Amino acid sequence: MRPSLQELVDKYRNNLYAVAFNVCKNAEDAEDVVQDTFIQYYSTGKQFETEQHVRAWLIRVAINKAKNINSSFWRKNKVSLEEYMETLIFETKESAELFETVMKLPEKYRIAIHLFYYEDYTTSEIADILKISVSNVKVRLSRGRSLLKETLKEEWEYDE
Amino acid sequence: MTNKERYKQAFSVLHTSDDFSLEVEKMAIMSRKNRIKTAVAAIIGFFALTLCTGGAYAANVGGIQRTIQLWVNGDQTTATLDVDETQGSYSVSYTTASGEEKVISGGGISVDMFGNERPVSEEEIMDHLDMPEVTYNEDGTVYVYYREQAIDITDSFDDNGICYTHVKSGDKEFFMTIKYNGGYGIDTVKYPNPKNFN
Repeated sequence: MRPSLQELVDKYRNNLYAVAFNVCKNAEDAEDVVQDTFIQYYSTGKQFETEQHVRAWLIRVAINKAKNINSSFWRKNKVSLEEYMETLIFETKESAELFETVMKLPEKYRIAIHLFYYEDYTTSEIADILKISVSNVKVRLSRGRSLLKETLKEEWEYDE
Repeated sequence: MTNKERYKQAFSVLHTSDDFSLEVEKMAIMSRKNRIKTAVAAIIGFFALTLCTGGAYAANVGGIQRTIQLWVNGDQTTATLDVDETQGSYSVSYTTASGEEKVISGGGISVDMFGNERPVSEEEIMDHLDMPEVTYNEDGTVYVYYREQAIDITDSFDDNGICYTHVKSGDKEFFMTIKYNGGYGIDTVKYPNPKNFN
């Protein structure tokens, strides 16, 4: 199967943006990542087994592209995270605090946490997307949760 | 409220900007949109380049247009290069053998070891355009193109999705480490360690 580009743009642009932002912590870079990810989809002509397969592929490509930007020696420094956060309208004070705390986590924990809590992926699906072992995903999730709990206290529950 | 609900509520504020558009018709033109991201490549070479080009940059401000010979997927073609050194951006336009107009555009900021930034210079852009490139083709094949060379690396990835390849043309020689569907590193001395880039 190969869904139309427009269909995927409509459906996943914000998911890809959120995952890309989670990695590169910069709005302009995240938007570039979303665009480049869709361009890659358009130009590869790859066939997929299911819609979930397409979604996982898009997310994997977006994460890789965002990581490339992060590791790029030519990376542009644009609006800071703090400045960008001031433009976001959070529903509650706790939401803003959670967002800020997650963004302070080390990148490898942040991505695993995001895929689990936002994209609803299982540990084995996350392992497949990030090309790491399931036990490694569990370790990253566990350490990420502990760090969130440390800061957020009663605003974050113990879970698995 | 569960952690998942809390998390989703917090991150629901993230969405692409209102002017984000991705018109399908534009995709063909953009299919070779390039960005300067040689980063993981030859950092040692970069510092040398920064020192060499500092003077030239200060004396050379504004737009520059020139005709260049560009290697595209193993074929050499005549292209027009427009450089805006004040922005560190460039565009290269050329016509393919089938008569199709193509535009490559990009740009970048270089950062020295002290964290100082400046737009990339024409010389750095020219160097960037003369670097090996990894291309994923529609038929699933993966090629490294460098000048007149087209190297099929489709079956050269190991179990971890890593491919090491070496390209040489004239006085230029590069060692490349490529992650399948990910980034790639280029070095003039040795294969970059895949742990050092994503």
